[in-house]
Amino acid sequence: MSVQDLILGLHRFWAGQGCYLAQTYDVEVGAGTMTPDTFFRVLDKRPWRVGYVQPSRRPDDGRYGENPNRVQKHFQYQVIMKPSPDAIQDIYVRSLRSLGVVLEDHDLRFDEDNWESPTIGAWGVGWQVMLDGLEITQFTYFQQCGGIELAPVPVEITYGLERLEMFLEQKDDIYDLDWSADVTYRDLRLREEKEFSEYNFQAASVTALKQAFNACQKEAGRLIAKDLLLPAYDMCLKCSHNFNLLDSRGAISVTERVKMISQIRALVNDIARRYTGGKDGT
Amino acid sequence: MEFLLELLTEELPASHIRSAREQLESGFRRELDEARIEVRSLRTLATPRRLIVTGDLAEGQEDREEIVTGPPLAIAKAPDGSLTPAGKGFARSQGVDESLLGPVRTPKGEYLGFTRRAKGTPTAEILAAAVPRVLGSLAFPKLMRWAESPLRFSRPIHGLLCVFGGAPVAASFAGFQAGDETVGHRIAAPGRIKAADFASYRQALAQSSVIIDPEERRRMILDQIEAALAPVKARVYPDPGLLDDLTLNVECPLVIFGAFPESFLSLPLEVLSTAMREGQKLFSVVRDKKQLPYFLGVADAPADAKGLIRRGNERVLRARLEDARFFWDQDRKVPLADRAEGLESVLFQEKLGTYEDKTQRLKKIVGYLCDRLGAAGEREAAVEAASLCKADLLTEMVKEFSGLQGRMGGLYAKAEGLPPAVHQAIYEHYQPVGLDDASPSTTAGALLSIADKMDSIVGGIGVGLQVSGSSDPFGLRRNAHGVCKVVLDRKLRFSFPLFLDRILAVYGDRLTLARPEVKAACLDFFAGRLRFILEKKGWRYDLVNAALGPGIDQILDVQARVEALDALKSSPQFEPFILMVKRINNILKGLPAAKVNADLFVEKEERELASTLSIVGSNAQPMIARGDFARAQGIIFKLQPVLNTFFEKVLVMAEDKKIRQNRLGLLQSISKMLLGIADYSQVVVEGERTAKPKGGR
Repeated sequence: MSVQDLILGLHRFWAGQGCYLAQTYDVEVGAGTMTPDTFFRVLDKRPWRVGYVQPSRRPDDGRYGENPNRVQKHFQYQVIMKPSPDAIQDIYVRSLRSLGVVLEDHDLRFDEDNWESPTIGAWGVGWQVMLDGLEITQFTYFQQCGGIELAPVPVEITYGLERLEMFLEQKDDIYDLDWSADVTYRDLRLREEKEFSEYNFQAASVTALKQAFNACQKEAGRLIAKDLLLPAYDMCLKCSHNFNLLDSRGAISVTERVKMISQIRALVNDIARRYTGGKDGT
Repeated sequence: MEFLLELLTEELPASHIRSAREQLESGFRRELDEARIEVRSLRTLATPRRLIVTGDLAEGQEDREEIVTGPPLAIAKAPDGSLTPAGKGFARSQGVDESLLGPVRTPKGEYLGFTRRAKGTPTAEILAAAVPRVLGSLAFPKLMRWAESPLRFSRPIHGLLCVFGGAPVAASFAGFQAGDETVGHRIAAPGRIKAADFASYRQALAQSSVIIDPEERRRMILDQIEAALAPVKARVYPDPGLLDDLTLNVECPLVIFGAFPESFLSLPLEVLSTAMREGQKLFSVVRDKKQLPYFLGVADAPADAKGLIRRGNERVLRARLEDARFFWDQDRKVPLADRAEGLESVLFQEKLGTYEDKTQRLKKIVGYLCDRLGAAGEREAAVEAASLCKADLLTEMVKEFSGLQGRMGGLYAKAEGLPPAVHQAIYEHYQPVGLDDASPSTTAGALLSIADKMDSIVGGIGVGLQVSGSSDPFGLRRNAHGVCKVVLDRKLRFSFPLFLDRILAVYGDRLTLARPEVKAACLDFFAGRLRFILEKKGWRYDLVNAALGPGIDQILDVQARVEALDALKSSPQFEPFILMVKRINNILKGLPAAKVNADLFVEKEERELASTLSIVGSNAQPMIARGDFARAQGIIFKLQPVLNTFFEKVLVMAEDKKIRQNRLGLLQSISKMLLGIADYSQVVVEGERTAKPKGGR
């Protein structure tokens, strides 16, 4: 089974659970949680089911293509079910079986792991799902997002596609994975990892990134005032990505770090409040 | 009759399970006790998905008889013995047949009354009400909501099995009506199971790959480990915390014995075992204190027939060890001294500044300790260790495995070729992590450990961080325990208040609270921690209070005082002496200080007391000063006979004011000297305990 088959399999399975299959969001994010298909849709009271592939950019994880397990961009398969179905653990287990995993031959565990994203004012309770000691999924009952207490409670299931694929193909090197029958992960991604690692750690202009951060932050505030919340949120995502790049460039001091995270969070919380009908910042 | 309850949930964290078991046991015992249901036995069991209570309870409450009285007999009955309207009214209001009414004798006279027989409530009915109360009152360190349920719990709930005497109890919780069904192992046997008694419940679950007793699972793990290791003649590296957690992480324990390439054995032991333990929860395997290229894991499965679980774990571990080796190689390319420069961008605490600020403070504080403790020979090494000890926070290894902080720095310092005194001090400076952890083995390590912890405590208290109940975000308690343990283990003598002054001076104007306030709060905080530590070591609370009475000048002295008190507590002189001290304190209570003038002595007994006091005082003073309270105490006991005679022959409260003041002054100087050893008035003696059961504190 290739990465492509894995994605098709998960699409088929979650479509069968009533999920709408979203397309990848076109702004850089650190996690699938941050895209509008999750962020905005978990805030209100309407039921929501969605599944999608989202590239996750973590500039600091770049290894110039030399580490068999770490990359600065990997792919997540993100599922949101709201309200969380009673049988969601069983459904998840069935999703693994549907990929051909004979669970009776393996050790599947739900290990305590609580998730938190201070940048978007979100936290949840749940597990990391371990398959023979390998973390393949983050399984979280969202409790709060954008600083807002969520009701009904959504469940978020995030598969790490490369991890899962390494298990399925029994391979030790991420670059050896088959993306399709005749295209490997190496073909698709190795050059990207090398160049982006150099960009993230050395080449990116700190001045330009700081200017971009400030410009996006300002723009977000301006758009919020016009009640253009989705564009404002995009600006917050850009702030967050610029922040991550600055961080991997080693250009953020202690006080700046705290300040920048809280600046983004304040904007995001404001957006969430307005989106759910609250008027102002208190 | 047999009671069985199982709350079926999604996977609970191990710490939640431990706390829930305690709460379930005490909760049910309290409810049943209050409802007057006899509990013949009660215990709890658990798996990651089940909280289980079982026990043997009485079938119901005992039947009860109570006497109900009405109006006085004289009013309720006419002279002919018939009931008056008042008597009839009583019978009506109580719904009781008139023929059952009769005279009841009470201390206030005779009344009309009857005996009501109340049938005891059946236990099943009591349980129906108690079950939701006990389950609903379970508290967890972190709560969550799910779906549209208003309930907050540790993890979502999936069912309630609750039977008493073979029949389901009419209880419900979290929207689940209690029944006699549950399910088996999530993967191996997920089908439904019916069980109306404990024996069949236990057996049916065991057949469905669920072992409900944590003790049995622990034994299975240990037995399987032993069986796995016998052929290679090796031992598991003991890790009780990991074993406890794994026991609560699986329903069906299966020990996995795997291997990793020998080439990784070039990594330090600490790195290997941490990489194995964190994330993958694997045990290390050793032979003659040397690590072997094997690991032991615990899976939640009945078998690993195809060896896939083992191979999977081996592959994951290999990747983790590759990472660790990469970190080890990379980190060593930068000397710690260069790395330490980066500490100015790592925050220690918002108001207390960066780790660079902390490092500068540590150098001064540890230097002060070396000077005070006559460790001049260690000064250079200790200060160098202080300047480097936090640098490992910036290494890739510690970023990945935070539990290695300190130790990693020590290993890198050693690899760099720094002197043993320096790298050992760095390695040990986080120790002891708790009261059960070992103190640093070197002097420089011990002093750096104290400096590091005290810097955090004084700083934390100085910016108003609060310690309350279970909340201690800055680890102030743990740090204080560490400081006390090192001081007591190594018998370090230094003035604690002066040490606090020094640290406060090093902090300068960084703290938000005023210095005297911070110092007082620190002394108070340490008094509380010392009380906890000494009581935990088994000393009587009143002796600990007495030992803390003189205040903390030397931490070491507080323990020496309590040891001295403890050694003498069974001596026949002890209680009379304590009573004497209490008598003196009672006399002196609330009086202003008075001066002693030898010319004003009238009786020979008071002169004798004064001269004995001066001899005893000059003998005891040096012993008190060097902390030899046992001997000082032995000497001051000599005051006792003289004091006895004094009280027999001399009237303290003499009419002449000057003579009275003089005698009070004499007693005050005795009291003051005694307080140099302990606050004896805090000691509770036998006589007092029987007379005043609440006395003492």
